[in-house]
Amino acid sequence: MTALTEWLSQTSISLAIQTHDWVIPTVQSVHIVAIGVVLASVFMIDLRILGLAGRDQSLTETTGRFGPWLSGALCVLLATGVLMVIGEPARELLAFSFWLKMFLVAVGTVTAAVFQISLRRNEIQWEQSVAKRRTTKWLALATLLIWVCIVILGRLIAYDHIWGAWSRAPKA
Amino acid sequence: MNISDLLGSVEGSTVATTIRNSLYLFPLIESFHVVGLSMVFGTIAIIDLRLLGIASTRRPFTRVASDILKWTWVAFGLTVTTGLLMFITNADVYYHNFFFRSKMALLALAGINMLMFELTAGRSVHRWDKDQSAPLAGKTVAAVSLLLWITIIFMGRWIGFTTSRANLKPDTDVNIEDLFPK
Repeated sequence: MTALTEWLSQTSISLAIQTHDWVIPTVQSVHIVAIGVVLASVFMIDLRILGLAGRDQSLTETTGRFGPWLSGALCVLLATGVLMVIGEPARELLAFSFWLKMFLVAVGTVTAAVFQISLRRNEIQWEQSVAKRRTTKWLALATLLIWVCIVILGRLIAYDHIWGAWSRAPKA
Repeated sequence: MNISDLLGSVEGSTVATTIRNSLYLFPLIESFHVVGLSMVFGTIAIIDLRLLGIASTRRPFTRVASDILKWTWVAFGLTVTTGLLMFITNADVYYHNFFFRSKMALLALAGINMLMFELTAGRSVHRWDKDQSAPLAGKTVAAVSLLLWITIIFMGRWIGFTTSRANLKPDTDVNIEDLFPK
């Protein structure tokens, strides 16, 4: 990983980002705007499953409304995230928060994808029984919590020293 | 009591001192600030996009708004609280920071913009509630709102980059390096 970090930091695109001070804050700001879209979308779908919002709409309608925004914003997050890794490889790739976050991003994304595919295939079952199960409601709460943790860990990358010996990131 | 005395006493308060001297508190407070502000922006965007006729168009505006706005205020409360806690740790520096001042001004504008909605399109909501989009006044407020909140996010990030924590001196002579096992 250290070798990869070394190599990445010497690439021309990384050097370009490093020498232009406005790039990182701008990319981070766009990243946060997209986080807002993801968090709100997950929140609305989960509130619908929990029966706390959008009760006049079916789960399929709610997911149809927010699903595409969720996927679109995740693409923006991936693109801006990659730029941040290229621009500051050591800060990201050697950070404990970063890898814990990536693990949770994988869990969150797979969960969202499986949910949307399953809903599309078994729409009637979902509406009539699955969405009403207690387990499903707990899962909705858990996914929301996962995304909140992802946001927190994302910010903690900037303070990776709090993990002590677990962090290999250089001190900012 | 002038402003710099006030800022000084805020910085010297027990709460501010506790946050400054902790390794974990400031990062955690800042993280929850991001959670709060992204929820504020995301939920407001849902309402603005409804007003503009871009999304949620098949639901009456009042339904969309009543589902969401209460959560927006909860998130706003979290964001303001965490924001204040960050401010007091380095009040003088933030107070004089250009991006901090701009952000506060834009937040005030966002409030006025919301008031504009209540005074214009909000008054006749029963007439366009089920329409594809709000009347021109409502659409204008929505577009301005989106623009303001996105700019506020940018300003916030710039505050972080222009008020380095290097300015933040621990109150006791703690060497951060000593806190870690060698």
